[in-house]
Parts: sequence; structure tokens; C-alpha cells
Amino acid sequence: MTGYKGFTQEWMDAWKEKIAGSKEYKEIAKDWEGSVSITVNADPSKNVPEPVYMFTDYWHGDVRDFFICDAAKAQEAKFIMTGDYARWKQVAKKELDATKALMQGKLKLRGDLTYIVRNVKTINKVIDLLTEVNTIFPDEG
Amino acid sequence: MNGYAGKFLEVDLTKGTCSSFTIAEARLKKFIGGSSLAAALYLEKYNLHTDPLAPENPLMVMNGPMVGSGFPGTSRFAVTAKSPQTGIWGEAACGGNFGPELKRAGFDGIIITGQSKSPVILSVINGEAKISAAGNLWGKDIYEVTDICKAEDKGIKVLAIGPAGENLVKFAAIGNDKAHFIGRTGLGAVMGSKKLKAILVRGNQPPGKANEEKYKEIFKAAIAEIKDSAFAESLHLMGSDAAMDLGMMTGDVPIKNWTLGEDFELSSKLSGPTMRETYLTKAHACANCPVACKRVCAVKDGPYKTEEGPGPEYETCCTFGTMIMNYDLAAVIKANELCNRYGMDTISAGATIAMAMELYEKGIIDKKKADNLELTWGNMDTVFALLKKIAFREGFGSTLAEGSLKAATQLGAKAMDSAVHVKGLELPMHDPRGFHGMGLAYMMSNRGACHLQHAAMGMEQGMVSWPQLFEMKEDYDGKTSQGKAMLVFNSENYGILDNSLSICHYLLYCLKPETIRDAFNAITGFNFEFKDFLISGARDWTLKRGINNLLGVSAKDDVLPKKILTPLQEGAGAGSIPDMKLLRDEYYAIRGLTANGIVSEEKLLELGLPELRNKLYKK
Repeated sequence: MTGYKGFTQEWMDAWKEKIAGSKEYKEIAKDWEGSVSITVNADPSKNVPEPVYMFTDYWHGDVRDFFICDAAKAQEAKFIMTGDYARWKQVAKKELDATKALMQGKLKLRGDLTYIVRNVKTINKVIDLLTEVNTIFPDEG
Repeated sequence: MNGYAGKFLEVDLTKGTCSSFTIAEARLKKFIGGSSLAAALYLEKYNLHTDPLAPENPLMVMNGPMVGSGFPGTSRFAVTAKSPQTGIWGEAACGGNFGPELKRAGFDGIIITGQSKSPVILSVINGEAKISAAGNLWGKDIYEVTDICKAEDKGIKVLAIGPAGENLVKFAAIGNDKAHFIGRTGLGAVMGSKKLKAILVRGNQPPGKANEEKYKEIFKAAIAEIKDSAFAESLHLMGSDAAMDLGMMTGDVPIKNWTLGEDFELSSKLSGPTMRETYLTKAHACANCPVACKRVCAVKDGPYKTEEGPGPEYETCCTFGTMIMNYDLAAVIKANELCNRYGMDTISAGATIAMAMELYEKGIIDKKKADNLELTWGNMDTVFALLKKIAFREGFGSTLAEGSLKAATQLGAKAMDSAVHVKGLELPMHDPRGFHGMGLAYMMSNRGACHLQHAAMGMEQGMVSWPQLFEMKEDYDGKTSQGKAMLVFNSENYGILDNSLSICHYLLYCLKPETIRDAFNAITGFNFEFKDFLISGARDWTLKRGINNLLGVSAKDDVLPKKILTPLQEGAGAGSIPDMKLLRDEYYAIRGLTANGIVSEEKLLELGLPELRNKLYKK
């Protein structure tokens, strides 16, 4: 199985492919509208020297933009999720549920929380599909 | 004494007397306040073996030392008595403004015994207590009586019962300013048995703080933590019903009297976001709470029209929604309003009706038995009719007014499997098949099945992480029983403190333990460390367990109902049931219980409960 260096464009492409290929996702996310940016805080001790900003966009079961961006673009998203590298790694490895991380304050969300709660199945499916990507993490590669 | 008013009010309704007493600081330090201190007084001063509805059964309304301080979440107070629903220790906590006002009126608690010959109200105004005739208040519903009591002084705070309390419905609630309810274990019936229609409090004597400067610093930190908390934000935006959508996905939500595992249409129609988009008129806060989780709702037209009033909590959206297959949130709001007016616990009322609907479907009861009502799933006209019949104890309603266990007992052996309770108290709306730790917490809670006498839900479902208190995981697998005994033990020792400190369960989740500890110390001057809190929590649990042991509770009572031991066919909890034996065996060992579920002598002495040891072991 091909491995992808985590938090890179090729890794995002692999993730996007998983989502786009999921019939289950298409059904669950049929009402979802809007973009989510993900900010991974820098952690030089784990080979993440600078923050990583990712912009992802979804529309009624389709996946649209999915790219590494700059800080300014990340701020334009409908939902902005931020967290330390170690926390994102736990989420990507399915060691920590994203909703639990949010409630415990280990990830931060900016955006309409009621929309997220109503669409929590969509969020969880996107994360589930991320965990299917064979990831080489920066501190493991 | 800082934090405390320094006096407790004792009222004898048979004699018509009011007096006060004090409690030494060392004892307050040991039991802190709220239901913990109430349990200590109950054991020391009263006959445990009286009938719950007898004059001798003391009804206690108790504050904790943080109440009235202005610290977020410290509006809570506890009401306790031997429960008419379960026959064992009964307690329920409540927010709003009554607790702080009672403290300003000069008292840390009120203990009421006796029975008046005719209906009365008790007024406690600035240190003076007075019993007076209730006049024409008897027979009125909680909203009406509260409005009348507040007519001359809107600032007066009111606890009142409705027809259900007067008619000794075993799950009768006590209303608090028309906005909050002391729901569980039937304490409204105890109030009704004493012919006490209402308690009014008013005061202007704020309690002191040991270290005002330190307190101000901690207060600022607390506000910052709440602003930063996603949990607090979700409560503010969606109330407790924020739990519905996620709960349906994780297997937490009970459906059709605990027989189905998944129905996303139900959760979508009854969820917190839906309530916000449809019937919510505003959010309401308890005293000094920046979270404002309480819903205020109005159904403006249609068959389920209501006036603007307190909206349903998550539990009520389940008992009058998912549990009875009602997809209409407006109807849930109407049922909630009826329960509020009549004065009934929405969990027990809805769960008992869900049981009746299942019995009807199975043919165990027929239309004739049900007073010609069609007890079909989702039939809300029947639900509204039944609520009235229960409150006034009319016909079949009088059977259901006994609660699930006693009603099923009356309806025959075939009915018993449909009653979903522990120790006679209906399960709250969290399914242990999705979260085994919650199953153990239900089994071991001292008031019967309870989701609030511990923090098991917050810990097991991942809402909180408190590694500074004890070893715990950030992410538990709900569908395993392994390791859950320790989780529940720890969650009780910390979570039960909200009942003695009288701090809101939700704020316990929003604030760091350090912040709560520091605020407690700044207010009281007690200088508690985490270990003192955890010992205090363990003492509280053990004291109440010992009282229950004296009332006959043993291992035979620490069991989950058959429904919970029957796997679901669909949903996140499908195929999973708690391993009751493993959970109980491990828990008993950690908690220091004998094989028969009795608190060991060693544990009682270790926790400084020699009086209980003497009574339990006849020394």
C-alpha cells in the first residue's frame, strides 16, 4: 500500500479520493454545504517546523477544493478547526475521536456549532475516511 | 464561617414551630453541604424506617457553601428525603435562584418534618420563618401558584407543588420559580404529604468569602474557561438537547421503550438544533451563570399550542419523543408543560407511559384497562389524557402514578420485563448498551438509576479529560465493560461533589478542577486539595450506600433491567450488553463492599463514618 507524507498535498489528494469514492459519504453528506479549514500548529520537535493550513470544501455530497493553503485562506472557511500536531495525529490514527477532542478543548472550532451538531455524521465520516489513508507522519517518516 | 450562612432552619408542621440550629465547622468540613450533609443529618437524627409519606420523614432543602457566592454554576441546591418512589435514599438537585436567595435569607438549609392539618405555605424572609395558611392555593397548578406567590413581590423565590404532589404521585416534582424542577425520586409527594404547598424565600444578607481578592482572580479565570469551552457553547446554543444528534449516532438514545437502536428521523426532528430553529424563544440562565443552557419555548399555534415557558431538556425529548415514537417536537413541548404544571418528573412520567404503550402493544393491558384510551405508540392525545389522569390519580392513571416498577407489579408478572428501572427509579435516557460504564453507574447510584450522581457520562463519552485528578483515558470505547469499574468509581468520587458543593453538573464539565478547587477554598477558607475532594466524594457515596444498606439494599438490588441485558439489532450499540457480573465484582472490590453489597466495616472507619458503622454492624 502506498504511504503518503502526512499534511502534504499528495496526502490531501489521497484523502479527497477516499471521500469522493465513498457512496456512503455521498448519502450522509447530501445536505452539507461549505468549507472547513484545518490548521495544524507548528511543532518543530515533531518535524512540523511551521503551521500547516489546509482548505477543504464540500457541497451536497461532492468534494470540491482540497489543498494546502496559507493562513489568510484558512480564515475564509465556513468552519475553522485548529489544533496541535499531536492531537491531529491522534485523530488521523483513530486514537482520539474528533468530537471528543473538540469537547475536551484539544481541538478548537470556529463556526456555527449547531450546524456541526446537526451534521455530526458527515464530520465523522470524513474523519473515518481520513483514517483509511496510509499516512507517514512527520515524526515517524 | 465563610461561604455558609451559619444556621439551619428546622420546621415542625405538626406543631407549627420553627427554630434554628448550627453545625460545627469540623462537621461542615467533613460533609461540606447539600445532599451529603443532609444524609449525615438524616442518619444522625431521624428514624430511617418510617414510611416516606409519614410526618416523621424529613424533607431537607440544603445549600452548599459556594451557593450565593456569584461563582458560575453555584445556584444549585439539593432536596432530600426517603423516597416514596423507591423506599430508599432520595434526592434531587436544582438550579435557578432559590438556593442563593435562601442563603441571603440567612439559612444553609431547611429541614421540615411533621404534617399540617390543612395546607400551608412556609415563608423564610431575612432570617424569620413563618407558617401560614395556603388559603385557596391547594389544587392549583405550579404555574398558577407561583404567579400568585409572586404577585406582591416578583423577587420572592418559590418552591411549589402541583396537583401531582398533592395527590401523592410517586414521581411528583417540586417546581422552582416556574422554570426549574426538582424532579427525581418523588420529593413533591413528600411535600404534599406534609400539606406544604409552597416555600417562599427572600433575603438580603450575602454570605462572606474567606479571600475576596483571590476569589476575584479565580472568577476571571472561570469566565475565560467557559468562553473557551465548546461544551459550554453547545449548551448555550442548543441546551442539553445538543446531545440528541450525537447520541443517536453513538447508541446513547433509547427508542421505543429501549427496544430499537437507531432512528435518525427521530433525532433530527427532536434535536437541539431543531428546537433552536423552531420553538426556542430565548435562552435562560440560573443565577450567575454565563452558560444559559435553559431553553424557553413557545408553540404559537396548532394542536400543541403552549404559552412561553421552560422548554424540554434532552431527557424529556426522549421520554416524550424517542421512547414513545413521537416525532413532533411541539407535542414534546406540550407534554413538558403539562408535567411542569401538574408537577411531575418528566423522566419517570414519560418512561412509565412508554412502558404502558409497550404493554398495550403486547396485549398485556387492553383498552378497557386503559380507561378506553388508545395506548398506541406516538398517540399524543392519549399521552396528554394520561398525564392528567396520573396527576389526579384517576382510573388507570392512579396505577401509573405509582411509577414503572409498582405499576408493573400491579399489572402482573408479564408486565415486569417492560419496566426499565434500577431500585424502582426509571433509567435516564442514556443507553448502557452503547456505554457500559453508564450501566454500572445506574446500578450503583444511591438514588436508583441516575446519570447525575457521578461524571461517568462525561468521562466515558469523552466530554471531559481530568488526568490531574486520576488516571483516565481521553477516548474510551463505550461498548466494553473492561476497566469501567475504576472509571465509575472515580467519576462518582469527583462527580458526586456537585451535590455537596452545590455546583452545576455542566459547570463541572466546563471548568478545570483546579478552578473549582481554588474557588471553593477562596470562598470557604478550607484549603482543600484534590485528594480531599475525592475522599469527600467517596465518603458521600459510602454514607448514602450505608443508609440504603440499613434500608435493606444489597447486591440483589444492584442489577440492570432485562431490557438492558437484551442486545439491540441495529445502531451503534447493536449486539453489545454490559457484563454485569464483571462490572459489579470489580466495583465492589474497589469500593470496599462485601460480596452482598454491604459497606465493609474497614471502609466505614477509613472514611470517618463510625456512627454508620455502629448502626450497620450493631456495635
